[in-house]
Amino acid sequence: MNKILLGRYLPGSSLIHRLDPRAKLLLSFYFIIIIFLANNWSSYFLLFFFMALTILLAKIKIGFFWKGVRPLIWLILFTVVLQIFFSTGGTVYWHWGILSVTSTGLVSGIYVFCRFVLIIFMSTLLTLTTPPLEIAGAMESLLKPLKKVHFPVYEVSLMLSIALRFVPTLMDEALKIMNAQRSRGVNFDQGSLMQRLKAVVPLLIPLFVSAFNRAEDLATAMEARGYHGGEGRTKYRVHQWLYHDTLSCLAFLALTIGMLLLRNW
Amino acid sequence: MSINFEKVDYIYQPNTPFAHQALNQVSFSLPDESYTAIIGHTGSGKSTLVQHLNGLLKPTHGRLMVQEQMITPQTTNKELSDLRRQVGVVFQFPEAQLFEETVLRDIAFAPKNFGIDEEKAAQLAKEAAEAVRLPDSVLDKSPFELSGGQMRRVAIAGILVMKPKVLVLDEPTAGLDPKGHQEIMELFARLKSQQHLTVILVSHQMDDVAEYADQVLVMEQGKLLTQQTPQQLFSQVEWLNKHHLGLPHATKFAFEIEKKSTFKFSPLPLTVSQLANQLANFLPKGVSQDE
Repeated sequence: MNKILLGRYLPGSSLIHRLDPRAKLLLSFYFIIIIFLANNWSSYFLLFFFMALTILLAKIKIGFFWKGVRPLIWLILFTVVLQIFFSTGGTVYWHWGILSVTSTGLVSGIYVFCRFVLIIFMSTLLTLTTPPLEIAGAMESLLKPLKKVHFPVYEVSLMLSIALRFVPTLMDEALKIMNAQRSRGVNFDQGSLMQRLKAVVPLLIPLFVSAFNRAEDLATAMEARGYHGGEGRTKYRVHQWLYHDTLSCLAFLALTIGMLLLRNW
Repeated sequence: MSINFEKVDYIYQPNTPFAHQALNQVSFSLPDESYTAIIGHTGSGKSTLVQHLNGLLKPTHGRLMVQEQMITPQTTNKELSDLRRQVGVVFQFPEAQLFEETVLRDIAFAPKNFGIDEEKAAQLAKEAAEAVRLPDSVLDKSPFELSGGQMRRVAIAGILVMKPKVLVLDEPTAGLDPKGHQEIMELFARLKSQQHLTVILVSHQMDDVAEYADQVLVMEQGKLLTQQTPQQLFSQVEWLNKHHLGLPHATKFAFEIEKKSTFKFSPLPLTVSQLANQLANFLPKGVSQDE
């Protein structure tokens, strides 16, 4: 459970850390869209170059990003293998029934691998350099235009920030209950599938019960402190769009132009 | 069958940016049937330490012996199943572990996991419920209907039902009222003498430490500072102050008297009754209290 890196924040003071969370959120999404523009080696090279540059700026060791990839490696390999065996076109190296390995298949397999790695790297970079509450705050201000169509922006962002805040707490709680049940003889990692499913019950019930209790306590505490809905609140964390945010947007603009040029080369 | 730690290190999330060394070269040994208190600040590694005792955590370096079971970094979970039965751990706020439909079934959960049949498990559960003084009327209720104090008892009975040889208590009375606190602490003391248990208590309550423990381990920042008897430990008032550790109320009171008068206590009293005895000795003979 402790091995999950996605969604964790690594405190720091690099340029990337100090960016406006709104900019970071938007640009990360934008980067993921741009990835799909790439269609040849040079464009992928440019993307990796750009990614390496941002990682360098964030002053985070590249090793942590590989740890982010590792839990998903089987999914990635599965997709890559599908691509390799089921693509047609180009020189055929080997084939058996409907399966064939072709040059196009190999190339698109590698492309898919690159896309996955880039997407995971960028989202890991976003979460490693931005505290969860900042992400929630950024979501709120980005969703604000949706208020015009009666989308419950405050409620959704409140739920989001509470949920994010309680992820580590619930993880701790789950670990604690797991340990308590393990000392009562529950084996969570042994036995048949059925036995393992059964072993989850003594974990899930207490976890739900404690979540209910926690929700009730939290609601009471919030009301006691004068919370009565999102309307008319002021903000403690005010985002400021600074010079380096504009600069990073310009960097992405340059990347986009570069991509478009390389794509049609 | 004593407990023996040899240079145990424990690192949370090793080789990540979040790596944190919770135990640092901890070595000590505890004899059988001893009552040991572990004290120290929040985050000093007490809870990490006690989780090693039944193999929930395995040392990152070093090794330990509990109940003839050697635990090294390579020990597998399968080898630890038997140990879990012999070392019962009562975690902080153990009522969070309740989940069954009835109190009785919840208490009987552990023996059933260790392969004891339904009927015998229910029998054991009844005995354990009696040991923690749960009234018969609650046995068929849902554990979630009970009061906080009763839930705590159910959770403790759920551990005692395994008839462990070593009982590990991680702040067993946190959040209880004074009456509940005293009842639970006395329960453990009684069980210890009846069933010849080895008890390890993690506590911030120095009064409990002074009253029940026969030795104290002091932890600070993952290191074991000292292992002493409560008498030795609590007579070093300056040392305790330096490490921001508290004194039992009786000791503190005696210490204040010594500072402000010519009274000399020897040794410094640990409990209220020791304090009262020593004070009574100071009174001149033949003087009754109301003069």
